[in-house]
Amino acid sequence: MAKRTCIFFISLFLLAGGRAAAQDTVTIPLHIRAGFDLSGPVVKLINKELISYGILASMDMNSALSFDAGLRYSSFHGEQHNYDFSSRGTSIVAGVGYNFIKANTAQGKYYGGIGLRYGLSLYSEEASMIKYTNEWGAGETSLPLSHHAGHFLEITPGVRTELFPGVTIGWNLYMRLLISAGAGKDLKPVWMPGYGAATRGMTTGAEYYISISIPYKKIKVIIQPRTQESEGEEEGEGDNVNPSTEGSFSGSGIRF
Amino acid sequence: MERLRITVAIVISAILAAGVSSCSVQPCYEDTDPVMNTLLLTSGTGETATAESLNIRGVLPTDTIEFVNATSTSSFSVPLDPGSDQSLFYITLNDVSDTAVIFYTRHPHLVSPECGYTLTSRISGLKTTHNIIDTLIIENNNVNLNGEKNLHLFY
Repeated sequence: MAKRTCIFFISLFLLAGGRAAAQDTVTIPLHIRAGFDLSGPVVKLINKELISYGILASMDMNSALSFDAGLRYSSFHGEQHNYDFSSRGTSIVAGVGYNFIKANTAQGKYYGGIGLRYGLSLYSEEASMIKYTNEWGAGETSLPLSHHAGHFLEITPGVRTELFPGVTIGWNLYMRLLISAGAGKDLKPVWMPGYGAATRGMTTGAEYYISISIPYKKIKVIIQPRTQESEGEEEGEGDNVNPSTEGSFSGSGIRF
Repeated sequence: MERLRITVAIVISAILAAGVSSCSVQPCYEDTDPVMNTLLLTSGTGETATAESLNIRGVLPTDTIEFVNATSTSSFSVPLDPGSDQSLFYITLNDVSDTAVIFYTRHPHLVSPECGYTLTSRISGLKTTHNIIDTLIIENNNVNLNGEKNLHLFY
């Protein structure tokens, strides 16, 4: 019944061009997702210096919020004319994602939102060759292997859609803000695993994930009553999670 | 239809994202040579002094390197030998020569991924003769890329 109501509502919404006047609820599934970053193997093909493999898991907390956690292994080896640098390590990110797509449109299948995560990078770095030159002459030295813990924040706007039942695909941009490289101001790593060039306070890029998606719970989301628009003015539409079915997540489905 | 629109939007935005995430090799535009900056001061008054002539040469086991040959100058900057923990200088000030030895420890410093590493120094001590130089004191022992004054030379 709820499914038919949902279909009816969405059909009405689409046909009426957003001028629906009904009040209803939609039942949406909450998912647990686990996937891997497709860009890692691609980057490996085009950038021989970097190996970076990431997995990401997320769990819908309600129709809008999800808890995200990821694990990434990175290994970097760069050879320049004046230095050789290697770093490798594992980074962990954890945070939340917020889906801006309304529940009745997203239906648990679509995501268009932003994530905020904290990242911890446990890594080692080494510069096996450093060449220097100035008016006194040229020479060579090295930087021995050392272990560090770096910290960063990650902001990830992105989208995701269900490719077919049980499988989702999506991508997100990331903007990483360095809190600390953990190696002092002189020996910031050329590449901090999970972050990027630690000489920069901010790094950007993109990740492409394919994930397995498993529904673990269904919730009803109230579609707020919408008054008939007058004078061509649209009022905002919102939806609240039904407290009677949402349990501990009550009230957290409020949207912008 | 809705699904098709969302899928098309994802594909287009993914292409845009690929463009954002692409990168290219950048050249090095940054200063990578730390220098030891020294201010000339008048002994007794402590006022800034202007030397009529100044010549500074770095001394290697088999050679000397001219770093400074200037007239009417009140400061000078010279690099430290990155291959050694001490640098020896012949300082000829107003045609009177002195010898100064600077002792330091060296530390690698990453300038940028494009420029690579340089060696910064921390001055640990110095010695000088006193033909014209009255005193040579350490004002700031970090010889790095910040351009801070490191020594005060009173004569």
